[in-house]
Amino acid sequence: MWKKRKPESSDVSASKEGTSASTDSQQDPQLSESNRVQEDVGSIALNHGLLAMGARASTAVADSIAGGLTDADVMLRVKAGDDSAFDYLVQKYRRQIINFMYRMAHNSAAAEDLAQEVFLRVYRSRANYEPSAKFTTWLYRIATNLGVNYARDTRHERPENVMNLDEPDSETGQAQDLADKTPSVEEEILRRERLAAIKARVEALPERQKMAVLMHKYQQMDYRQIAEVLKLSESATKSLLFRAYETLRTELKEFV
Amino acid sequence: MKCTEINELLPDLAAGLASAPPGISDHLHICNECAGKLEEFRKTMALLDEWQAPEPSPYFDTRLHARLREEAARQPRSFFAWMRRPAFAVSLAVALVAGVSLFEVRKIGHGHPTQVAETSQGTSQPVQPGTAVSDLQVLDKNQDLLADSDSDTASDLLDDLQVQQDVTANP
Repeated sequence: MWKKRKPESSDVSASKEGTSASTDSQQDPQLSESNRVQEDVGSIALNHGLLAMGARASTAVADSIAGGLTDADVMLRVKAGDDSAFDYLVQKYRRQIINFMYRMAHNSAAAEDLAQEVFLRVYRSRANYEPSAKFTTWLYRIATNLGVNYARDTRHERPENVMNLDEPDSETGQAQDLADKTPSVEEEILRRERLAAIKARVEALPERQKMAVLMHKYQQMDYRQIAEVLKLSESATKSLLFRAYETLRTELKEFV
Repeated sequence: MKCTEINELLPDLAAGLASAPPGISDHLHICNECAGKLEEFRKTMALLDEWQAPEPSPYFDTRLHARLREEAARQPRSFFAWMRRPAFAVSLAVALVAGVSLFEVRKIGHGHPTQVAETSQGTSQPVQPGTAVSDLQVLDKNQDLLADSDSDTASDLLDDLQVQQDVTANP
C-alpha cells in the first residue's frame, strides 16, 4: 500500500443521476482491443500484488468489478480515502493515457512522464471531486491540457520526422529493426516514410482537430465524449472531425 | 438525402465505429461520389493504424507509485490548514494589535474637535469632525481664547502700571 492513511469511510455515495460515468459494459465500445486493459485488473491486484496492495485493495477492486461500480463511484471511494480504488483506476486507464500522451508528445519517455502527471493531478484533486461529468471526460481533459501545453513548450525542440536507419528511433528509443520481420529493406523504408508522413500530417492539423482525431481514431471515443472533453457541441465536433479527416485524406493520398 | 448530409458521418463509418443507417446505406449505393469518398476515408483510416504506440515501460508503475507515495505523505491541503501555521498566527496577532491601535488613535484624534464644537455651541448635537461646521466652530473657539488671552494681558499690564505708579508715588 503506498498510502498509510486510513480511509475516512468505506461507504460510497451514490452518484448523481445521469451525471456519473456509465457502467463498464457501456464503456466497452469506446476502447479498442489494443487499448483495453489486457488483464482483469481485479485479478492483477488480488493475485499478484502488482501494486503491493493490501486487504483494502482487494475489497475495493473486487467490489468495483463484482458490484458494477462506475468509475465515478470508484473515484468517490478515492475521495473517501481508499487509495486502492485509485490503483484500480490507474491500472484501467494507464495504457490509454500513455498512448494518448505518446501521440501528443511523440516521445515515449515524455509520454510516460506526462501520463504520471495526469494521474498525480487526478489524485491531488480527489478531495474536490464531484461526479458532475464522466470520469473519462475529466481524465482526458486533464490529459489534453497537459499534452497541449507540452506540445507548445517543445514545439521548437522536437526533431523533424526524419528517418535515419543507422540511429535508434528518437521517439521510442528502440533500435531500428530492418531485418527479420520485413521482406525487404525497401519496404521498411517505405513504411517508415509513411509513418513519418502520418505523424507530420496529424501534427500539422490545427490543435483541436488534432485532439479530436487522436481521441476518435486512437482512443475510440465517440462524438459525445470528444465534444465533452473539448467543450464543444456534438455537431461542432462532427464537423471538426470531418474537416480533419478530409485534410488527412487529401494530404496522405499519395501513401494510401 | 443530400451528399452533404452524410459527410459528417463518414469518419465514424470509415473507422467502423458506426454502421450506416438504411437511408445512408441506400444513398451510398446510388451515389458513386459518396461511396468513393467513404472508400478513401477507409484507406486513410487503415493508413493511420500504422502509427502504433510502444508498450509502456515496466517501470511506469514503480515510478508512479513512488510519486504517489510522496504525494500521500504530504499533509492534506485543507482550506484552513494554512491557518494553523505559527507564522500565520503571529502575523494575525500583529495585524490585530495594529488594527486595534490604529482604530483607537483615530478615535482619540477625532474626539477633540467634536468636544470643542459641542462646548462652544453649548448644544448637545454632535458635530462631525472634518466638516465645515466643525472647522468654523474651532476657529470661533480659538478666536475667543485669543480674545480672552489678550484681555487678560492688557489688564495685567494695567495692573503692573498701577503698581509702578504707586511705588513711584510712595517710595
